Amino acid sequence: MANVLDLRRRIRSVRNTRQITKAMKMVSAAKLRRAQERAVTARPYAAMLASVLESLKRRAEIYDPDTGELRHPLLLTRPEKRILLVVISGDKGFAGAFNTNIFKAAANFIRENDQREIDIEAIGRKGRDLFRRRYPAAQFTQAVEEGERPQRQRSSGIEVIGEHTGVLERLTYERVRELAEEIVARYTHEEIDAAYIVYNEFKSVIQQRVVVERVLPILEIGARQVAESREFTIEERERAAEAALSAGVSLYPKEAEAAQKQLEDETRNFGTAEVDYIYEEPPRDIFADVLPRYVTSQLYHATLESVAAEHAARMTAMDSATNNASEMIDSLTLTMNRVRQAAITKEIIEIVSGAAAI
Amino acid sequence: MADPIKVRLVTPDRILVDVTAEAVEIPAKTGYIEVLYGHAPLLSEVGTGEVRLHGGEADEQRFIVARGFVEVLPERVTILAETAEKPEEIDVATAREQMQHGEQIWNEAGEDPEKYAQANEIMAEATTRIEIAGER
Repeated sequence: MANVLDLRRRIRSVRNTRQITKAMKMVSAAKLRRAQERAVTARPYAAMLASVLESLKRRAEIYDPDTGELRHPLLLTRPEKRILLVVISGDKGFAGAFNTNIFKAAANFIRENDQREIDIEAIGRKGRDLFRRRYPAAQFTQAVEEGERPQRQRSSGIEVIGEHTGVLERLTYERVRELAEEIVARYTHEEIDAAYIVYNEFKSVIQQRVVVERVLPILEIGARQVAESREFTIEERERAAEAALSAGVSLYPKEAEAAQKQLEDETRNFGTAEVDYIYEEPPRDIFADVLPRYVTSQLYHATLESVAAEHAARMTAMDSATNNASEMIDSLTLTMNRVRQAAITKEIIEIVSGAAAI
Repeated sequence: MADPIKVRLVTPDRILVDVTAEAVEIPAKTGYIEVLYGHAPLLSEVGTGEVRLHGGEADEQRFIVARGFVEVLPERVTILAETAEKPEEIDVATAREQMQHGEQIWNEAGEDPEKYAQANEIMAEATTRIEIAGER
């Protein structure tokens, strides 16, 4: 049986761990609040962009009246032979099943499309580490002729084409735009036939799901093209709610939402008023300009949500860890007291029986 | 006094400005336009330049914007811009770097028209930034 001193040491060590997990939980809660706010304030822009596109779609001739062809390459659908998969994971661990869920969804997607060529674009350090171990990196010929796109030397069906770490920590629109423009360029140059993103969607602390969403080609504007999703289970939800409560994060930011709703109604009307607009440029030009921005805005939206979801997952995980540590301290304290008592009783028995022997 | 017009400047991160003003100058792609209350509905791309708000609550505010759209309705103006900043926030050093970056793309563009267009856009942005920063 362990002695009192050992038990006391273990208790102290668990207590230290608990302190750390508790601190991490509070930090995550603070970051979550900020990320949540960012995700909310970013909504009007995305909504307005979508409505402009929608109204333009009604006015601009997307199809050529003579040939019936689509006017913009991003609307073209081709048989999906080469797919780009953007996987948004976290930069750090300690977030429970957050990263695992993403990888599971990505792996499922890859398995279902194994007869196609898949390029992986990894955002987040965790995703990069995993995919780099598993799949080779894309190789390009070094010498690029002026004005030409680099030649691809494909060696395997699935390759990692790009990695972006540290983007999530200080998320800026600029960084996301660069990536989105690259994706759009690849699509228009017919290097890929479709683009999907796998990410954690964040509606609220207790409502999150892993989704596989198609961003290219754009089939329908405004509607999100979710190919696959996995919702939170009830237990996960309860866990998250508990964690949020103890960290002081509100589950439903109600007042904010009411104000937001009014704004969203207004933004939805952006560019859609039933009037004839004067167009400074031909509608088609505006259309061609908005489409790539729409892709960027979708990608940005996905990263923002993923960041919020990551912090929420970490907060929940750390709350569980803190609870487990508390339980462990309790049970260790109990054992320690028992051991101490047993030792005292033994000593008394020894003294008493020793005295009796005299 | 002219009727005030509602002005909203929206960036991907947040709604930057939501005020009323008497007049708004907007750098449309084909040139600056000025909008007063009762303007005919208009939809246009926004190039790189300065949005100026005059009068009303706004009372002389200026913003550097780039890559966006504007919707004008008789009583409301909404500007969507990927970047928008106040003149005093501009960092000349960063703008110079941006300029160099643009020049570099220009020099390496070869025969790719897309690259030239991209370089032009970057340089135009940088020029506006440097000019406006120099004014203050």
